[in-house]
Amino acid sequence: MTTTTLTDELVLETLRQVIDPELGVNIVDLGLVYRYAYAAGKLTVTMTLTTPGCPMHDSIAEGVKNILQTLDGVTDVDVQVVWDPPWHPSMMTPAGRAITGVRND
Amino acid sequence: MEVLSPKSAGVESNPAPRKPLRPATSPSLAGVQAASVRLPLCFVLVGVLSLLASAGFLLAQPDLLAMYHYTPHLIAITHLFVLGFICSIVMGAMYQLVPVTLETQLFSERLVKWQFAAHVIGFVGMVFAFWTFNMALVGAFGSLLTLGVGLFVFNLARTLAKVKGWNPIKFGIASALFWLASTVSAGLFLTASKCWSFSSFQPLAAMHAHAHLGVVGVFVMMIVTVSYKLVPMFTLSELQNERRAWWSIALLDLGLAGAFAAILVQSSLKPVAALVIIAGLLLYGTEIKAILRARNRRALDWGIRYFLTALALLVPLSILALALSWSRLPVTAFTMQLENIYGLLALAGLAGLAILGMLYKIVPFLVWFHSYSRQIGRVKVPALAEMYSVPLQIAGYWSFLTGLGVLCVATALSHEAGIRWGGGLLALSLAIFAVNMGKILSHFVRPKIQAFAPKTFTAAKNL
Repeated sequence: MTTTTLTDELVLETLRQVIDPELGVNIVDLGLVYRYAYAAGKLTVTMTLTTPGCPMHDSIAEGVKNILQTLDGVTDVDVQVVWDPPWHPSMMTPAGRAITGVRND
Repeated sequence: MEVLSPKSAGVESNPAPRKPLRPATSPSLAGVQAASVRLPLCFVLVGVLSLLASAGFLLAQPDLLAMYHYTPHLIAITHLFVLGFICSIVMGAMYQLVPVTLETQLFSERLVKWQFAAHVIGFVGMVFAFWTFNMALVGAFGSLLTLGVGLFVFNLARTLAKVKGWNPIKFGIASALFWLASTVSAGLFLTASKCWSFSSFQPLAAMHAHAHLGVVGVFVMMIVTVSYKLVPMFTLSELQNERRAWWSIALLDLGLAGAFAAILVQSSLKPVAALVIIAGLLLYGTEIKAILRARNRRALDWGIRYFLTALALLVPLSILALALSWSRLPVTAFTMQLENIYGLLALAGLAGLAILGMLYKIVPFLVWFHSYSRQIGRVKVPALAEMYSVPLQIAGYWSFLTGLGVLCVATALSHEAGIRWGGGLLALSLAIFAVNMGKILSHFVRPKIQAFAPKTFTAAKNL
């Protein structure tokens, strides 16, 4: 029997499966994931979206919930979408910037 | 307890918020906003079919553009294009975009169904009635269309009322709704005056005043307003100067009110009103330029390029508007053809190209939302740009611009063969567009989903 341990790498790699369909980039490289915390089987993700009123709001939040629930050891996922601090392209990773063609300055 | 925080290279670059995070004010906002995509899609489909039908009519009768535009058949085709294509798309898009841009939900979806029925029956009947020049029938179907417009305006006005305070976008949408109601009222008045001969206004002047209400008040106003939200959204930028945005809309309103009155009574003050509108457009152009300069996304996708190219057509349109509004402009066959070019550039060029560009953003979203919004995070879903062919989109762009150019020159010269060639290129562009729309819509009936890459889950399970 294998023991499953949640690591940053595992959570981030899993979240990379969720894309923002308009920009075609996953939410981690877009810098939408602010923080996450795990306690007693519950994974709480605090994230934002590129713009308030984003029509993909529920889809992306639900996508995060769906994908994280596939992880062993996770029995509950709480996705909190926040607008403060607002998202800014500077929050993107170099990979995200390369895909979207965002300036590196 | 194990607490995780972003440590990977990818996430370290994010400024981790130190102060308490403010939750989104309306957690289920977008889900409600985009509750139904079928009705907006129905409007879009009717719009695309009307566009193809308009192009077909023009190809079959190219002589219509080679002569002055006050003919029953050209008026019929113009109404097919304006009501069937532009209005259908604008209405469908507004039902979808207004809640999104104003971050609220639509007042009533049931009213949308009734309006759709009244709109389609109304405009199809009107086109037939104009073609046969049966003005009583135009009045009957026009009344039905007006009823639909009333439902549309009521529904969106109630939606706007839910948004507290005012901003340039709300102001612009409210203005467009006011001008839409004014346009159909003016149209009904024109029809009634034809039937019962009670109007003292010169018919051609009244028709031009009616057309300007619709084109400037509804289409240009909507393009201006919506782009203040969508251009920053799609280019990762922000509105740069809200005051400038307010003024651009206010000047459009003021100039159009003046232009309508001046055109109707054939006043020599028409150029003054045109200059006020142009001042509003200059402010708008300055703001769009500032938004684009501040954009973070360097590469502009082709949907945005279509849209921005349409905006560039405001320059020749403004010059033509000024020239044609000059009361001492000699009346010759050539200057009369300039009026045809003015209408062509405004409707096919500005409105048509802007709408095609926006359709490349709106339709993939609507279809994606229907087919994939519940699949995200469960399976691999396509990005919006993967739902159509970008090379085809580029080919459509260039054939449209070339066709429009040929059509304008041929129209100026009343050259029927040239009009057919230009119309043919435009039709080619529209055929390409239809192929791409077909590709997008195929996701509606046959979603293209894939399982996630197995290695990811192997890694996950083994950790």
